Amino acid sequence: MKILVPIKQILDPSGLTFRRDKERMFVNREDYILDPGSKAALEAALRLQDAGHVETLIAISLGPARADDALREALALGCDQAFLLCDPAFEAADSSVAACILAAAIQKLEGPDLILTGSRSGDTALGQIGPRLAQALGYGQITDAWTLESDGKALQATCRWGTGFAAVTASPPLVITVSPEAFPLRYAHGARIMNAYREWTVTTWEAADLDLDPAALAPKLVLRSEGFPAPFERGEVFRGDPQDIGRDVVVALRQQKLIP
Amino acid sequence: MDFSFLDDWAEEEAPALDQTGEGYRNIWVMAEATREAILPPSLAALGQARELADQFGIYVFGLLVGSGVEAQAQELITYGADRVLVVDDPLLADYQPERYVHILADLVSQYRPEILLMAATPLGNNLAPRLAQQLDTGLLSHCVRLDADMSERLLLGTVPIFGGEMHHTLACPQARPQIATLLPGSFAAPYPDSSRSGQVESILVDLADVPPSLTWIDRDSDFAAPEPSLAHAPVVVAAGRGMGDAAGFALVEKLAHRLGGRVAGSRGALDEGWIQEEQIVGVAGQTVAPTLYIACGVSGDIYHTFGARQAQFVVAINPDPEAPIHKTAHMAVLGDARQVIPAMLEALET
Repeated sequence: MKILVPIKQILDPSGLTFRRDKERMFVNREDYILDPGSKAALEAALRLQDAGHVETLIAISLGPARADDALREALALGCDQAFLLCDPAFEAADSSVAACILAAAIQKLEGPDLILTGSRSGDTALGQIGPRLAQALGYGQITDAWTLESDGKALQATCRWGTGFAAVTASPPLVITVSPEAFPLRYAHGARIMNAYREWTVTTWEAADLDLDPAALAPKLVLRSEGFPAPFERGEVFRGDPQDIGRDVVVALRQQKLIP
Repeated sequence: MDFSFLDDWAEEEAPALDQTGEGYRNIWVMAEATREAILPPSLAALGQARELADQFGIYVFGLLVGSGVEAQAQELITYGADRVLVVDDPLLADYQPERYVHILADLVSQYRPEILLMAATPLGNNLAPRLAQQLDTGLLSHCVRLDADMSERLLLGTVPIFGGEMHHTLACPQARPQIATLLPGSFAAPYPDSSRSGQVESILVDLADVPPSLTWIDRDSDFAAPEPSLAHAPVVVAAGRGMGDAAGFALVEKLAHRLGGRVAGSRGALDEGWIQEEQIVGVAGQTVAPTLYIACGVSGDIYHTFGARQAQFVVAINPDPEAPIHKTAHMAVLGDARQVIPAMLEALET
């Protein structure tokens, strides 16, 4: 099986402070990390590789030049090839544009059987790339998988469905998005980390290398404004009969949408 | 006096209900239904559609796709739809993304809705991006708030980023329809009005040339997601010595279970033998960062509250009004936790 994992590099949220009362985001430490969803997708792919179902494992990333680091991390973890799609024309990409660019690159890589990606990223969390890729390539799709197994041909997954989970199977070609919490990523072998930087290469493709329709590069969405949720106010006091205040607390928490 | 000119006005103002020609009009809600009922997140989406439609002066269309769902059409009208399109086919008993996209894309190109809303349930998250790609339009996913920009006649969707710490307001200015999925729990369900009336239309589809790709083995799998660690739990309920005895601590466990959260405690709870060492929150234990932190019978000295300083919302239940925990709390509940928690559990059931 040929597996392709689209990965994303994001700004590390642990280096950010959000102040609702000041309506500002403070960047204390500008670090870029591999997105948790991409990490889970890589781990799911590596587990299939461990089970002996994978011939080629490819990582691909759409992003600026610094995304090279994320791809080298993927190489260190066990990917065979890495491709970076980097071009000034790609900078304004939203989900629909990103899906078109990735689909063009994937077609150039001659049809992987399985595309594994995160069901949502750690920053924007729009969760659109997987299903959009599936439609653009005409693949089947399973979203938000928590387990993934293969018998060499079909893939079986447990995915979130309704308010619980459902077990489904499907045959390649297929896009599967995995839950970021479901597959904790392993550590790369030290020697492979050194090789990823010294020996192995990340291939960079620009817009001219891909067969792209210029109209597809126009983003569909515009950002109108940024905002912050209203800050929670301190100091609400409940006193009186325990029966009454117990009920009042639940009502107040529901109003704040803190509990269902 | 001749008032017949009023009739001309009235005719001019009312847009035709079966408008299918040029231009995109009307709001659609793709409703998820079982044989018995419409799912609550879909009803909430319908409520939002009704509000937007009243602002824009357009109609709300409910859309039911599935097998044996036709009985729910009237329910959609009761909750705000003006017209319901029903696609009821035995082949739709199991969800297949290709078939749903095929049906919806066909209907959209025929009726040209301006806005399409869905609930961000697992089905919505699976279907909406695929449909948006097929229709070559933008998708505002996981909206927590919807607004109408009347000057440009646009739908504005507010989406949470970085786990809800920040909001982005997005719009889809050119492509149509504007598709949005609504995060369950962020919108209130509308009130039913049984006096409302509307049309129900059945639509026949031919799915023979769209093969299914998924095989559903078990629609109600007993798989349970691993619980998040205490440090990442969205809800933490902490017990202190004020819970009195093991029976009091059992109430804390019950509350945590009911809210889908984890149990923690102060040093006092460890000394009583209720919790393990790794469940202590504070200087000597874990640092937690939940959305909701409920401290039950905890006095709240600095050695404990230091571990919970990143909690977004703190509820302190302690009868002593002088207890330091009330100073850091968003809600200070002056009552005995052993009596307040049973009342809370009772209220949660309603």
